[in-house]
Amino acid sequence: MKPTERFKRRYVSFSLSLSGRPPNYAEAKEIVHVHFLSFFGENGVSSLAFKLVKYDAATGKGILRCERSCTDEAIFCMACLTSWKGADCRLEPHSTSGTIRRL
Amino acid sequence: MPDIVLVQELGTSIAGGSVVCASSLSNFFSVPNALAAKALCRKKNILLHVRSYEIDDGDMLELARAGSAFVFSFSDILSESGFRRAILLSKMRLVLAVCRKRGTGFVFVTLAKDVSSMRSARELSAFAAVLGMSDVERKTAEKKLLSLAGGSMKPKKPAPPVSTQVKK
Repeated sequence: MKPTERFKRRYVSFSLSLSGRPPNYAEAKEIVHVHFLSFFGENGVSSLAFKLVKYDAATGKGILRCERSCTDEAIFCMACLTSWKGADCRLEPHSTSGTIRRL
Repeated sequence: MPDIVLVQELGTSIAGGSVVCASSLSNFFSVPNALAAKALCRKKNILLHVRSYEIDDGDMLELARAGSAFVFSFSDILSESGFRRAILLSKMRLVLAVCRKRGTGFVFVTLAKDVSSMRSARELSAFAAVLGMSDVERKTAEKKLLSLAGGSMKPKKPAPPVSTQVKK
């Protein structure tokens, strides 16, 4: 496939906290995946080019990938997360870039 | 980005001048439904928050004539979940369409009750984009909020630096 025919991607850096502490990798992956799936639905996630690229369990900081035209929706989705299994949870977007290096 | 919150402490401690408490604004009104909003629509230069996001076209026209603005609140979305959140977003989009049709001003704020429901400027901007506002409309909404909130929302000037140079 030509590069022009692929998804135009954007990378969003974020910090995740669950009850005031960063969750481990498996927990973080579950939180992000389940929340995005419930927000966008299966069809939405398929056109979102969504991927959890990186997550550091020590700091709670990570990077996720989304489609360029859906960046605002992805950030809004992240802002909508308030709780996870009864505990306070916050997925805070920091910056957006076209490359991982620039984040 | 200017913002309105519901608790006094958030307005003063977190972001200084650009975040104000709703109770300190004399022209901010939050009503539960369209019936309660009807009585306020002819007041001039008010910020009207209708929590049900159901308002008549005629009332919106009155709001436009009075130079007032409709308030979209992010905390209303946070307080709902699942299907109810989807319905609320849909209602907000409908109100935005009526605002455009009638020429009514609108603003988007957090109306946060606690620190956890405060949101950054980027998140608020994304909220506006999801509702369907263009970049120009977002800028206009910010200006409208600054104009209606008056002097209470102007950023505080930093204290002038003390000069260390000795005058000759």
